[in-house]
Amino acid sequence: MNAALEGKVYPDATFTVDEQRVALFRQAVGEAGPVVPPTFATVAEFAVMPFIVGDAELGLDFTRVVHAEQEYEWHRPFRMGEALTVRSRIASIRQKAGNGFLTIETEVRDQGGDLVVVARATMIERAA
Amino acid sequence: MPQTAFRFEDLAVGDDVLSVSRVVTSDDVKRYADASGDQNPLHQDEDFARGVGFPGIIAHGMFTMGHLATSLTDRLGDPSGLKRLAVQFRAPVFMGETIVAEARVKALDPRTRTAVLDVWVRVERGGTTEYPIRKSEAVVGFAES
Repeated sequence: MNAALEGKVYPDATFTVDEQRVALFRQAVGEAGPVVPPTFATVAEFAVMPFIVGDAELGLDFTRVVHAEQEYEWHRPFRMGEALTVRSRIASIRQKAGNGFLTIETEVRDQGGDLVVVARATMIERAA
Repeated sequence: MPQTAFRFEDLAVGDDVLSVSRVVTSDDVKRYADASGDQNPLHQDEDFARGVGFPGIIAHGMFTMGHLATSLTDRLGDPSGLKRLAVQFRAPVFMGETIVAEARVKALDPRTRTAVLDVWVRVERGGTTEYPIRKSEAVVGFAES
């Protein structure tokens, strides 16, 4: 993993809180109510994640990756059908005992530019 | 433990306020992969999982976190009550296991009507308790009652 990429910002992605996708997600996480589950934020993160995982410059070996930590700060609930903008950046890259630690911070904003949720995902690229 | 939504006034530091079990199946995990977009083969392909040192496929950390978050918001009766959730993934979850999401009140702020909860997810495995999620924290807010 290329530690020089700390701070890299990936291109914005647009993301819609799609009713069918929400229904599938709700079923998967066992939410019985009519709400958009707060961790639907993960789906927004995955609007950009493939571009990070597939970033040749970063050189992450996804076959050795495990998810170590996850944090969400919700500023307001998701609204069904709304369009959101997702921006991810590499917040930090660290090496410890041969393992690589990658933290990605993702901001999800509404069309007015207001924050909906901030996500921080830390992944470990285990020593080969 | 009350079964109705919690009220801020009913909480005291040290109270155990949540215990929600769920059996994890490969169908659930496949559904989660499709719903979330996380198609890492570690969660779907037995041979791949064994090839990287696990005895079989494991659930996504986010599947387990999703169970925790959903259990909390169902208990709150209000998805907007969950303000922050920060977790550490410390052990895998295998198919067929029962995960239990639990929470204990750590701090209360009556001025902002906010509670900080210690949260974890445990699984009983081979006579010991493992913690797929531990040393983790939720911040929940309560509307004026």
